[in-house]
Amino acid sequence: MAVTRAEPIGQIGQHKPKWGVPASLRMVLLVLPSAAMFFIFFIVPVMLLFAIAFNPSQSGVVKFEPEFSLETFRRFFDRPLYYEALIRSIVLGITTAAVALLFAYPLAYFVAKESRPGRINLYMILILVSLQLDLIIRMYGMMVLLGDTGLINQALMRYGIISDPLPLMYNTFGVVVGLVQLTLPFMILSLIGIIQAINPALEEAARSLGAGRWRTFFTVTLPLSMPGVLAGSLLVFAIAIGSYAVPVLMGGWRVIVTPMHIYQQIAEMGYWQFGAAISCMLFGVSLIAVFIYHRYTQKLIGGLV
Amino acid sequence: MSAVAEQTTIGETVESSSPGRRQAREEHPVPLLFRVITVLTFAYLLTPAVIVVLAGLNSGEYLRFPPEGLSLKWVWDFFESPVFLPAYLFSLKLAFVTMVIATVIGTMAAIFITRVAFVGRGLVRAFFLAPLMLPGLVLGLALYTYYLNLPLGLSRTFWGMMLGHILVTTPFVIGTVSAALYGFDRSLEDAARSLGAGSLRAFFTVTLPSIKAGITAGSLFAFIVSFGQFDLSLLLSTPNQTPLPIAMYISLRYQFEPTAAAAGMFAIALVVVSMVLTAKLGALSRIGGIKFS
Repeated sequence: MAVTRAEPIGQIGQHKPKWGVPASLRMVLLVLPSAAMFFIFFIVPVMLLFAIAFNPSQSGVVKFEPEFSLETFRRFFDRPLYYEALIRSIVLGITTAAVALLFAYPLAYFVAKESRPGRINLYMILILVSLQLDLIIRMYGMMVLLGDTGLINQALMRYGIISDPLPLMYNTFGVVVGLVQLTLPFMILSLIGIIQAINPALEEAARSLGAGRWRTFFTVTLPLSMPGVLAGSLLVFAIAIGSYAVPVLMGGWRVIVTPMHIYQQIAEMGYWQFGAAISCMLFGVSLIAVFIYHRYTQKLIGGLV
Repeated sequence: MSAVAEQTTIGETVESSSPGRRQAREEHPVPLLFRVITVLTFAYLLTPAVIVVLAGLNSGEYLRFPPEGLSLKWVWDFFESPVFLPAYLFSLKLAFVTMVIATVIGTMAAIFITRVAFVGRGLVRAFFLAPLMLPGLVLGLALYTYYLNLPLGLSRTFWGMMLGHILVTTPFVIGTVSAALYGFDRSLEDAARSLGAGSLRAFFTVTLPSIKAGITAGSLFAFIVSFGQFDLSLLLSTPNQTPLPIAMYISLRYQFEPTAAAAGMFAIALVVVSMVLTAKLGALSRIGGIKFS
């Protein structure tokens, strides 16, 4: 790894080395625990999982065997059940990203145009609280709201607006509503910084040249915020296709997506090799999304680090 | 409890103050349509949490419209619950241990990344972010498979689950602490050094106190991420080691237990308190290194 090429900046080397080791080497000790841990408990396990995907399928066998086979992948593409679920996951991911963008952009724009620090802090607390709140708790709230006997249906029926409950949950609509709830904060956070960074003089120039506020928005602001739009959409897409709990709870096993197949193959059937192969396919799709994301923006996940 | 009440009032402030207040003289900087959608989006973000609080304080079994009376029945039920209280305490323990380890190794890695110039620094950062790019379920499956292949006896143990939690929380500590270190004026540390302090002493007496807020914010974030972790825990938890999100998920698949909502209320309180603390530290803008000015 590149770590060995470490050189100190500043004058660390000039001071007497306390433990008789060069300062640059001592700096490497700082990164050693985390790097070792990530290598042993992340890189190796993930490589092992992907290696197991290429083992011949055997029910109940977890151990890796040095045998190569494409049987599991052939099975994936032979059975419409499995590849259709992946296509459904991708469509749900794209839909979620589009809907989340429609809700998130105005809010991000609103927060970006706010100048009072107290207000910005308040909005950020609200956004971060919703980001950090355990997704199961949020889905509990969504289910009490959207169920057949949920609050929305109770209210609509009480006032005689409808006579039968609206099917708001246990269908694709419910899954999208849940996935948007889950991913909205990520979209908002990807957008705020980029909208704030747009020089207001550009918008003012467009206005003073006679463009209306919407024309200015669509020809100046929106194009300049495209990196954030793209980054947010791909991040949301990646989170949505990997979600297991939201489709299970909001879809009530009627909307079958790829993560459910992974869980089923492992926890219920004991087909580890096939479960690993489906994981590979799902990871491949996320990787393509991340790759596109990187091509269009330099930033990493949500501007992290 | 007070934190929950505070959160509800915050929600009301936003909704009442955003749209159409000062239209008269000058044009509002944000178009009306955007302000309307902003209110809707805030409602979309926060309604589930408000409903969980209402369900936890509701006097009936099931939330009705219009609401029935309030009661603390479900809160007491939660304190006596053989399922949710142990799960809550288990999650607290798991999140605490995870936080301590992630904070220590994450801060050390952040110092290395920000202080040492080397080729491939971007690569090292990407390496530490990688666990967040994998769907949590897949990461959990990879660890589960790995533990079963290893003779270390980590499968279905507290430590096995904790290792997974460290993987997904350390990136946030690294991000937050790196942001704090980039904002720190290094000449202060150099001044201490030129006055005769050793490098370690200069670090602990000058640098550490000034990045303390960043470290605290990073560790709070790590705590909350671990506390609310679902996907990763799904395959790693066992019947006697069940974190709160898994316990709630299992119950939610069959029914709406108001006791689960009461447990959820205490989890919401934890998140609100940690975010308000982070805001007090002035470190809101550094959370996970998310950049906004």
